[in-house]
Amino acid sequence: MKKKMLVISMVLCVLMVLVGCGNDDGEKADKASPSEASLTSETSSDSDDAAAWAPSQNVEFIVTSSAGGGSDIFSRTITDIMTKEGLCSETFLVNNKTDGNGEVGRYQVANTKGDKADHTLLSMNSGDCMDMLSNTDNRLENFKTLALMAVDKQLVFVTPDGKYENFNQIIDTVQSGKEVIVGGSKGSDVATFEALLKELNVDGDLLKYIAYDSTSEAITAILGNHIDMVIAKPAASKQYVESESLIPILALSDERFDGNLGEAPTLSELGDYADVQVPVWRSVVAPGEMSDEAAAYWSEALKKVSESDGWISGYLEKNALIGDYMSFEETTAYLEAFQEDYLKTLEE
Amino acid sequence: MDNLMLLLDGFHTVLTLQNVLVVAIGAILGLVVGAMPGIGSLAGVALLLPLTYKFNPTTAIIMLGSLYYANMYGGSFSAILLNIPGDNPAVMTALDGYPMATQKGRPGQALFTANLSSFIGGTIGMLILTFIGPQLANVGLKFGPAEMTAILLIAMTSISWLVGENPTKGIMITMLGILIACVGMDTLSGSPRYEFGNMWLLGGIPFTPFVIGTVGFSQVMKLMKDRYKVVESEFMNKRLTIKGSMLTRSDVKRLLPPALRSGFLGTFVGVLPGAGATTGAFMGYGVQKAFKNKEPLGTGALEGVAACEAANNAAAAGAFAPLLALGIPGSGTGAVLLGGLLMWGLTPGPLLFQNESEFAWGLIASLFVANIITLAIALMVIPFLIKILTVKVKYMIPCITVICIVGSYSTSNSMYGVLVMFFAGILGYLLYKNEYPTAPMLLAFVLSPLLESSMRKTFIISGGSVSIFFEKPISLVLLICLAAIVATPIVRSIIKWVRQANHKKIHMS
Repeated sequence: MKKKMLVISMVLCVLMVLVGCGNDDGEKADKASPSEASLTSETSSDSDDAAAWAPSQNVEFIVTSSAGGGSDIFSRTITDIMTKEGLCSETFLVNNKTDGNGEVGRYQVANTKGDKADHTLLSMNSGDCMDMLSNTDNRLENFKTLALMAVDKQLVFVTPDGKYENFNQIIDTVQSGKEVIVGGSKGSDVATFEALLKELNVDGDLLKYIAYDSTSEAITAILGNHIDMVIAKPAASKQYVESESLIPILALSDERFDGNLGEAPTLSELGDYADVQVPVWRSVVAPGEMSDEAAAYWSEALKKVSESDGWISGYLEKNALIGDYMSFEETTAYLEAFQEDYLKTLEE
Repeated sequence: MDNLMLLLDGFHTVLTLQNVLVVAIGAILGLVVGAMPGIGSLAGVALLLPLTYKFNPTTAIIMLGSLYYANMYGGSFSAILLNIPGDNPAVMTALDGYPMATQKGRPGQALFTANLSSFIGGTIGMLILTFIGPQLANVGLKFGPAEMTAILLIAMTSISWLVGENPTKGIMITMLGILIACVGMDTLSGSPRYEFGNMWLLGGIPFTPFVIGTVGFSQVMKLMKDRYKVVESEFMNKRLTIKGSMLTRSDVKRLLPPALRSGFLGTFVGVLPGAGATTGAFMGYGVQKAFKNKEPLGTGALEGVAACEAANNAAAAGAFAPLLALGIPGSGTGAVLLGGLLMWGLTPGPLLFQNESEFAWGLIASLFVANIITLAIALMVIPFLIKILTVKVKYMIPCITVICIVGSYSTSNSMYGVLVMFFAGILGYLLYKNEYPTAPMLLAFVLSPLLESSMRKTFIISGGSVSIFFEKPISLVLLICLAAIVATPIVRSIIKWVRQANHKKIHMS
């Protein structure tokens, strides 16, 4: 008897799980039902005026990093400004979907259909996009890329008590056949490092990269002099430069940075090289099924956010980012080129 | 002395009516969140973080700090009373706490031990943080990949103390833990492992739902099977009185040495990069195994409860040292707190103590206040909490099941966590039926990813050469310790064997 109960309870467990998943699918199928889809397309073709569209239900803003992470702060700042400036009268629900390294959230947004698609936004940065392209079949074509909001670039740092004082020494060391250990975070920093390798024309066995989970971990490693140089963004490193724990030695950009990061030269200043830069972008995207009217509405609203004081002084300046708003068309073209380039490097 | 003055200034900041109220709210929330399986400090702080964006930063961080801190207390409640760890560090508390509460019939003492040890461990951690926090954070920096590899190898040896009577089963279960930890993205190369084309598995098996399942939900299944047998223990529980729950003088004497030892050890573990309160609790318990205990650990020994509870609170306090002094999070929760600091417009980093001294010392002072308030609240609720044991099993089962589901759902706001929890529950139950210990699996699950990434980073730096471990003084010392730990039992048995042989020879001649 007891055993039977146990077996039954186990079966129930499994069933519950299956039912849970089934519901999920059902929901998706529901949203994709042709009647609804055609309904929305009808209503949208009725209204010629793009500005006439306005959100009519809660807006879900999906973030694929956990609360407090870079993307989370980015998204919450945008929703705060939209609410404060009266750009959107409906309530924003910021939802942190971190399952499967964020792929689950991205997949879900890519497949959101019907009316919900007009009310779903997702923050995506270049690191997210690279992960998605290299690990899944999900592509940017499945999204409406609404707006590019900001761009970030990196620098190379060393410590005052480390082995190297400037980047020329590092180049010399590598060219004499000795190893230099580089640290940085995953995703976009790796891409920048690889561009640097290519430009310097050195072997990855000599200039070796260690991918840390986050920039702060990489900085921890260089502060203890366990690695020789670190690639980091200005926001994460400014404080350490101010306290003289880190020295910027190379700007991975086509011009020098401002303030205390200004002493770092660009690569072209150091010799016969071209400047290396792989801008790290932050964008807001939406489901591919979002109607054009809604896309125009959100793109415009994001433009107003990018012009607001709260955005410029409260977010960009604080995080030492470069404001670089791109409209819907510009963003789409820019990201398409990004995807094409990145897929090409993956094939290599 | 300077630090003491600054700390007093910090108390000045904290001891306003508003802030004390906020600390109390944080403490109560922390206790509740901690006692709920699955909703650990990480989830608690992450859930509360958006709400605090509107506060002024000092008040907000005080609230989160006290929540984080109180959480370490709360986790032990459900571990001791239900054998379901309320948060990850409490996994070890359940090992001795639950048998102490049920088999030995001393639930009150178990809870008092847990909370008193938490208080002692936490106070040690905070004092160390106050006086040598920044210096300690700098020592933490010396621990690079090579040193971390060595220290994690030592930590891994503590698995051997947890395997129980059957070493083969112990080794198998440890391997299973390592295998499960391998699922997901390879941290260094970023390539997926064992994901079988499944998107959910790309992110790996989440630890919290896994623990709730293997420890918590499997307990529910055990209860379901044994629900008619429990009559006995109910009879026992009728005799539970407040007076009978107090710690005796000899209890306190037994509690102090492990709590003090774990307090120092835990603080140190908390300071190390990447190791948090969970690792602290595991190591505190492991070290306690090496010392003499009045009762064997794992059978409801008071020392076991004291050692891990003191260690996890000390580690929680210690984790603030690198966070405040260098802007480096020592744990997942630390990372969320760090995000909070950024959100409030503070830039964590080496200049925080200098530029935002009121804020930094206010936070440290609030930890002291939270420690005292939490202890007071915890001690007040213990007499009521132990009544939980008298609740009939038929009411318990649905309640715990709901808590397990809610807890595992909340880790990532999706059914994936719940699914993992159910499967882990079935796994846990099957392991229990076949007499496999689950603790080694959980320990391997926590430590092996850290060990893997440290070891691989070490080999990238050294170009594959092992000599790096012997060239660095800290890792050399740690490796010598490791060798001593591994060799001791072998040498002992050889000596024993030689002596016996000699003895025989003498007799023969």
